[in-house]
Amino acid sequence: MSELSEFVIERTFDAPVGMVWKTWSDPELLSRWYGPGVETIIHEFDLRPGGCWRNEMRWGENVDLSRMDFQEVIEDQKISWLHYSVDENWEVTSSPKMPDWPRSILTTVTFHDEGDSTKVLLKLEPVDATPAELACFSAVVANMGKGWGGGFAIIDEILAEMRA
Amino acid sequence: MSVMQAMNIPPADPGLDAIFGALADPTRRAILTRLAHGPATVTELVAPFEISQPAVSRHLKVLEGAGLIERGIDEQRRPAKLRAANLAQAVEWLTQFRAFWGSSFDQLDDLLKVMKQQDVRTEDE
Repeated sequence: MSELSEFVIERTFDAPVGMVWKTWSDPELLSRWYGPGVETIIHEFDLRPGGCWRNEMRWGENVDLSRMDFQEVIEDQKISWLHYSVDENWEVTSSPKMPDWPRSILTTVTFHDEGDSTKVLLKLEPVDATPAELACFSAVVANMGKGWGGGFAIIDEILAEMRA
Repeated sequence: MSVMQAMNIPPADPGLDAIFGALADPTRRAILTRLAHGPATVTELVAPFEISQPAVSRHLKVLEGAGLIERGIDEQRRPAKLRAANLAQAVEWLTQFRAFWGSSFDQLDDLLKVMKQQDVRTEDE
């Protein structure tokens, strides 16, 4: 498996591991931070291996539904889940805006006790992906860090011209 | 079938990697910027970029393969035209992916700050 078929993000939070764990394991707290600038509604949250997290995100007129099937749950240490895009019946579907986005992505979150702070490592990797899905995921991940130098600014300009 | 006809076949559902691959080259981004102002022929594109006509044609072929432009059917001129929807979709997706965990984690930082303050207050009581 090439290194581009996984995406890793690391972040250290200024809080002890027990408190950070709480923000991931209590759906009331989780819904307050999960999802960037959106309203997050958690319809089901059964935190145990084989349990399910049904998540809705709303922003403006948009709704995004996803289902997470928990794989591993170890208090204060690790949560992993399989993430799926779902339709309005919570059935697995391809992502409406990006058909080649992997249908199933394994998300692994590990928590590292560093006393007053906690390091969180988050890893995303496609599971049972088709070659097209892997290519799509790799393309996005490959372009995450680079940003093409000034390339993005030019693309923003192009898109602004088109909207004008 | 002639080569020209073969090259006329519209690309089938270009992948995201083809789009990002096409965007990775500064000349191709510059060509796209020019095309954002309206369609242009190869001859019209050669002048501002100071590169050869075959080089411009090669860049256009890559952009066309990625679904970022379409070529007119006029066999002589074949003006190139931007297909912005594909570009917008790819960039929006990348931007969303880039923002998702970073922004969420910023929000988690804020939440933890509030929780720590509440903890301190509870201890004071």
